[in-house]
Amino acid sequence: MAEYDTSNSQAKSGTLLGWLDQRYPLISTWNAHIGEYYAPKNFNFWYFFGSLALLVLVNQFVTGIWLTMSYKPSAEEAFNSIEYIMRDVEWGWLIRYMHSTGASAFFIVIYLHMMRGLMYGSYKEPRELVWLIGMMLFLVLMAEAFMGYLLPWGQMSYWGAQVIISLFGAIPLIGPDLATWVRGDYIISDASLNRFFALHVIALPLVLLILVFMHIVALHRVGSNNPDGVEIKKVKNEQGLPVDGIPFHPYYSVKDSMGAVFFAILFALVVFYVPEGGGFFLEPPNFEPADPLKTPEHIAPVWYFTPYYAILRAVPDKFLGVVAMGAAIMFLFAMPWLDRCKVRSIRYRGLSFKLLLAMFVVSFIILGYLGTQPATPELTLMAQIFTTTYFLFFLILPYTSAREKTKPVPERVK
Amino acid sequence: MSIKNNNDSSVNLQRRRILTGATGVVGAAGATFLAVPFVSSWQPSEKAKAAGAPVDADISKLKPGQMLTIEWRGKPVWVVRRTPEMLAKLPSLDDSLRDPASAESVQPDYCLNPSRAVKEEYLIVVGVCTHLGCAPLYRPAIGSPDVGADWQGGFFCPCHGSRFDLAGRVFKSVPAPTNLEIPPYRFLTDAVVRIGEDPSEQGAA
Amino acid sequence: MKSWMLLIGLLTLTVSGMTQAAGGPAIELEDAQNNLRDQDSLQRGAVLFSNYCMACHSVKYMRYNRIARDLGWSDEQVLQNMTFNQARAVDHVMTRMQAGVSTEILGTEPPDLSLMARLKGPDYIYTFLRAYQLDENGNWDNSVLKGTSMPNVLESFQRHSTPEDYAQAARDITNFLEYVGEPAKLERYDLGWKVILFLLVLLLLTYLLKREYWRDIKH
Repeated sequence: MAEYDTSNSQAKSGTLLGWLDQRYPLISTWNAHIGEYYAPKNFNFWYFFGSLALLVLVNQFVTGIWLTMSYKPSAEEAFNSIEYIMRDVEWGWLIRYMHSTGASAFFIVIYLHMMRGLMYGSYKEPRELVWLIGMMLFLVLMAEAFMGYLLPWGQMSYWGAQVIISLFGAIPLIGPDLATWVRGDYIISDASLNRFFALHVIALPLVLLILVFMHIVALHRVGSNNPDGVEIKKVKNEQGLPVDGIPFHPYYSVKDSMGAVFFAILFALVVFYVPEGGGFFLEPPNFEPADPLKTPEHIAPVWYFTPYYAILRAVPDKFLGVVAMGAAIMFLFAMPWLDRCKVRSIRYRGLSFKLLLAMFVVSFIILGYLGTQPATPELTLMAQIFTTTYFLFFLILPYTSAREKTKPVPERVK
Repeated sequence: MSIKNNNDSSVNLQRRRILTGATGVVGAAGATFLAVPFVSSWQPSEKAKAAGAPVDADISKLKPGQMLTIEWRGKPVWVVRRTPEMLAKLPSLDDSLRDPASAESVQPDYCLNPSRAVKEEYLIVVGVCTHLGCAPLYRPAIGSPDVGADWQGGFFCPCHGSRFDLAGRVFKSVPAPTNLEIPPYRFLTDAVVRIGEDPSEQGAA
Repeated sequence: MKSWMLLIGLLTLTVSGMTQAAGGPAIELEDAQNNLRDQDSLQRGAVLFSNYCMACHSVKYMRYNRIARDLGWSDEQVLQNMTFNQARAVDHVMTRMQAGVSTEILGTEPPDLSLMARLKGPDYIYTFLRAYQLDENGNWDNSVLKGTSMPNVLESFQRHSTPEDYAQAARDITNFLEYVGEPAKLERYDLGWKVILFLLVLLLLTYLLKREYWRDIKH
């Protein structure tokens, strides 16, 4: 018999599982993260989006891998190879639409996931790192989406990339050289396409995967927050288990499966009936091959970037515009420290926070709309107003949150 | 703890098992459906099929003894217009061949004859050595200097020295195991041959 | 329930933003009223396209055999109807004009039309085809695309047919071009509801399963 110590394995020896578990912490990993991970029992609708984000990530990985099998990353062939996928490859159209719809679905899910965090104070101690890793995920996801959008090599791909890369040029001193370095050419070209492809299919997905892993590990270290924002670990039973916690499996695995199927229905509705998403998921100008000599009449980024694009345009200075756009995202990173209220959940917070959050969300949505529109003087003025209110959220919050009149927080979840 | 015990009489384990099983079965069926597009997308695409479509070759300009190379499915297909002398020599080589009757080799049934052809005069073979896929050279002249003095005319593979006669039949003691492959083909007219289509497919494109 | 309402509120806002954002171009477009399921119309459209458009335009991402398969023709029929047997069934649908000729005559290269319907929409194509008017000098001009180098290819229909036939010809071409823009479109429509039906069954099962397990949880 084995001479080595098998005492920390929980499986019966003599079985395949036992053999594996003596060599790999299968059972303890399963228990720590699924079987005996105690999550609050009062998760509501907003708590579906974490697992849904994981589902969309898997969808993007699988469909993306399949697309690379037929896609050709060259300025000559890229556009043709997309039409080749749409017409000549068996089921290519479905795989492509699943990927393009998945990109938009990813951002819908992630924005709602972040909204959940803001509402229930999920970024607060001890979950600051969960929030920070999540924000890094969001940043990498934006880079991933941006680079992926160049690959079809349509007019919008080309000019969108041209505009965004030119932003680097606004950085003082090194800007222009930096922009050229990123493109590998003086304009967006074959070289840019090739490196974006490499980053989109290998480098960034790898970073995403690692960050997702860290996001979950960090979460499971501190435990999940919940809509009441109370710590379930405070009240434990005689076995030392949280009274208001339930094992993730089977309770949340069955619940999240239901959520996943419901999401799949909505997803299928888009994939099969409106894959263009009304011109927002697939923009019509992108059905024309990239032409470096002809700019489309109206360039708008894909919808999930439009709030930041509107902020960029609202600032009447190239460099400061870029700074504002960057700050719009960077402020979110600082949420755990900007919000000084001890109460987590919006349910027990004062009116000031509710109003501020509402102002922030409305600003974000209106900026998103403005980002899709041509910049007329009236709309630019609106964009400036809502850019101001967007930032006011972060600037006022530290002051009001420290003085907020909160409601009493219950001892246990309701 | 807010969870009921499994021994609690209100927990209907039977119902729970049935529902888990049903969801599992339907879910697995769904996963199988979902796998179909991904698996079938590996099939040859329309482009590949188009490249594999039959090719028409005009053989009216081909003089006796000459060879014409046509690309079909990315492979070279040779059309050799054999002289009566070449044809007359074929049976005499049977003893030095590995598979003189083409019993082990690949060809359509209508080419399973001594000349391995629909029309004796025209040999049509895939120009890929059956050993490791090199392209053999056409050496019709008797005693070609790079093949040897006793050479009776045929094909010689420069990679590993395999030799074939003018019916694409492989000689003994060379690495190639079987005769050169004959593709499906049919004569549209006396001057045009369509490679990649059996004579029975008359009318279909 | 509050969070549900908030979400619905946000969605409504977003959707209303979207519909505004998708606001139309300056020109009033006529409704093409074409129907992808009308195979006769598609067949007529293909023939009209071959006769009136292919002198200059290609639909280079389409193959003849795909058109045949989707429009209910045999490979022989498609070649007869669209190419006078000058192409193979597996060939892409290319223009009959030789490269460079158009730049000489019309001053521009006619665009490939494979994706025109996805770029501009069927209504645009339909309106454009019918927007030719004689100006005071007796020259044709197009009110959708002023100064276009494209001649009024449907002139004979406009002059000698009934208004209905003229409209129908434009509609058939539009229909064909919409089909060409995404040949798998009908396949997509026909598969979609089956997938969704299946998922609804799965949703019911997962819901029952969830409800069954969650009986354990005391609130």
